[in-house]
Amino acid sequence: MKIKDILNEMKLEVLNIGKDSEIRGGYSSDLLSNVMANAKEGDIWITVQKHMNIIAVAQLKKIPAILIANGGTLSEEVLKKAKEEGITILSSKEGTFELSGKLYNLLIKNQAL
Amino acid sequence: MSIELSCKLSKYAHIFEDLKAEDIMTKQVSTLTADKKISQAKEMMKIKKISGIPIVNDENKLIGIISIEDIIKALETGEMEEKIEKIMTKEVISLKKEDNLPSIIQKFEMYKFGRFPVVDEKNFLCGILTKVDILHKILDKFNLIYLHDKKRNSILNQDLSLITGEKLDIKKAEFKHQIDTTDISRAGEGAAILKSFLINKGIDSEIARKVGIAVYEAETNVVIHSKGEGEILCFIKKDKIIVRVIDNGIGIENLDQAMKEGFSTAPDYIRELGFGAGMGIPNMKRFADKLVILSEKNSGTQVEFVFFLKDK
Repeated sequence: MKIKDILNEMKLEVLNIGKDSEIRGGYSSDLLSNVMANAKEGDIWITVQKHMNIIAVAQLKKIPAILIANGGTLSEEVLKKAKEEGITILSSKEGTFELSGKLYNLLIKNQAL
Repeated sequence: MSIELSCKLSKYAHIFEDLKAEDIMTKQVSTLTADKKISQAKEMMKIKKISGIPIVNDENKLIGIISIEDIIKALETGEMEEKIEKIMTKEVISLKKEDNLPSIIQKFEMYKFGRFPVVDEKNFLCGILTKVDILHKILDKFNLIYLHDKKRNSILNQDLSLITGEKLDIKKAEFKHQIDTTDISRAGEGAAILKSFLINKGIDSEIARKVGIAVYEAETNVVIHSKGEGEILCFIKKDKIIVRVIDNGIGIENLDQAMKEGFSTAPDYIRELGFGAGMGIPNMKRFADKLVILSEKNSGTQVEFVFFLKDK
């Protein structure tokens, strides 16, 4: 499923639009090393972390999109880096649990079709 | 001022502790006897470009000193043709041959003189010591240390891989990155740059990704824990990639514990940023083909990774 398809299905705020990559699955965690160890290429990553390191993690793990849970925005510097790396940054007021559930349904349902 | 200087010096005391007045002083001293005229002292100062002359007796024992200030006074009072004896300072503050650098500096600070005669235990004059002499000696000493450092560096730069024993020329590393340990939010930057670098070099992207992840963990450890400075070095060999992440920080006290998944010494504010999950070293192990960590408390840490390149 493409990022723009997800955007059509869910109400998410777009902080940066990167490459329109294929999203194959998702991973929810706020521990960076945990994401490093377990997230898969092509995952959308749901986290509450907002600092610069999330871009480095996403880049290293080939994570095309980060979804910031519990709302809020990112610093200019982080967004600039995301732009450079072509990583999509989304944000939502909903929590990790709700977002994970919705994305799970969306992505798994999509895969099943 | 004096306390401040002594403090500054105390840090380097061990470097200079073997330095004695007799090592620092100038041995060729221009002297005069007390029966000579003040005008002669003035001439000697002019010709030799010096600002003070020790006065000795026939046996070369120190009995006084005459300085440029004394001459000026004599000029003002019209005493230039008098004997030196009349105006010289008789209670001379002198240094002993065996005095060490801190006590010499203390004397310079205490008396504000430009020079001190140096005498032996029987008050025979051996030399004269000025601030310039001290400066020269200190520079000599630093020169020696510098040479020693250069030699050491050339040895350090010729290194062997901790894992494979291959020769690694540190100077010729294909990739070098100084880790910015002042900004935690930038931790991982070096790993990301290295990953792109490897991909540009035509390294298989899966291997580049593994390198990136393992190095990311090592790099963030340097930023979070080392309290020192660190560097990432990468060597591309025919069949493998060797990466070193080194720092000069506090070291790892208990490596066995550090290797365990879930063990972390990260403070709370670091954990709030999503670090300190206790998965750093386990992740390194997982993504590298071979891993060696050398560390000792207060002696820095060296992490070396080997990633094998697949046969094409």
